[in-house]
Amino acid sequence: MPNAHPSCSSIDTLVTPYIDGELGAADKQLVDHHLGRCGACRSRVASEQSVRDLMQERKSGLCQGHAPALLRTHCAAAARLSAAAAKTRDAGTVVVQRAWTGWLAPLGAAASLFVIVGGAFLYQATEQSSHLLAAELAADHMKCFAMNAVLGTRQSAETVQSSMASGFGWTMRLPSSAEREGLELVGSRPCLYGEGKIAHIMYRHNGQPLSLFMLPRTARPEQLVETLGHECAIWSAADRTFVLVSRESRADVQRLAEFVHASMR
Amino acid sequence: MRIGTAKKATPDAESRARAAFEAEALASVDSLYRTALRLTRVPADAEDLVQETYLKAFRAADRFEPGTNLRAWLFTILHNTARNRARDRAREGVTVDSEAVDQAADAPSYGLSGPVATPEALLMRETLTPELQAAVDELPEAFRQAVWLRDVEEFSYAEIAAMLNIPVGTVMSRISRGRRMLFDRLQHLNPVHA
Repeated sequence: MPNAHPSCSSIDTLVTPYIDGELGAADKQLVDHHLGRCGACRSRVASEQSVRDLMQERKSGLCQGHAPALLRTHCAAAARLSAAAAKTRDAGTVVVQRAWTGWLAPLGAAASLFVIVGGAFLYQATEQSSHLLAAELAADHMKCFAMNAVLGTRQSAETVQSSMASGFGWTMRLPSSAEREGLELVGSRPCLYGEGKIAHIMYRHNGQPLSLFMLPRTARPEQLVETLGHECAIWSAADRTFVLVSRESRADVQRLAEFVHASMR
Repeated sequence: MRIGTAKKATPDAESRARAAFEAEALASVDSLYRTALRLTRVPADAEDLVQETYLKAFRAADRFEPGTNLRAWLFTILHNTARNRARDRAREGVTVDSEAVDQAADAPSYGLSGPVATPEALLMRETLTPELQAAVDELPEAFRQAVWLRDVEEFSYAEIAAMLNIPVGTVMSRISRGRRMLFDRLQHLNPVHA
């Protein structure tokens, strides 16, 4: 039962819902009763109410900023890509089931592309198929390069190495030998797959975007998957899965994946 | 029925449902961007945050329950994403000290602003919108979020609680405290004339 003469503190938590019209009849009556007797609380309600009314009255003025046109385009593209990925998942993707790593001779002279030492980032692998993995990472590949085109971000090997260390606990080295395969470093971004964060290193190869994704603590069979106009080479080494994504020809993607795979130490 | 999972729906019906979902979701891009801008204060980061929000939303489209508030669902994803990013950058001191915020929110409210009568409330109306915008932007993040989501975006307390991952009672106290802080700032801008 409400007190016949409620104190200021007893109605304190009711004031905001009272102003917002969110109180039940009994509580509203309680507040009304108190306000009829308490000038201090009437003042408090009046001040809060005046701000609320002002905010609502000026809502259109406060909401004048629009999202940049390019952001709209990218978000709409994200919808189309997700829809395409969903169709891919439902209809099945063209998959080359053979392992690709045995097709080409090892690049014996290649120095290490990078060296990963130590730390592992706990990643809960999803049970989705490699088809979906490829489709989603191809979408991420396009998204990240589209954003990079807008932002113009360019990172040094040192910055990427630092990001891998701070984001994933990986100590990595990206030697200049990558340039021998025509790979030009663009930068890195953390991306999401399933419920976990994955690493995304962006390159250009002969000017064409090329992505290398690394999914911590997962293992998948070697596959070459064609999806969303991209070739995706998937393989696992140590405790992680690598996915190389590019629009280049299957032969080029195989060769580059071979290069990365063979130069892993 | 969830998008893409209804066994009885034809492919065409699913396709239409998905297109409607996407169109409705994309209609919120302006408000999501404005909110992201308030959270990040950097346009490039805000764009990144919004785009990640949409990617997550579209990927998880089959988990959205039609009939519930899609806008609120998107805002929840946006805030969760922003919170995760802030957590990742915790060393840079980006995150809000929520304990301090809640202590401030729970502070006694009486005597903070002095007596305020209706004429002063009317005086609030003399506030220029840019002044109001600046006062809102100057609020501590937790209060700014709560007031903005309630008074401008018009979400329910429960929806805001889900977005900010805090109890409903805390939502109300942050709205209350945020409004009173705004009142103090705006009153200072528009002193009562004798």
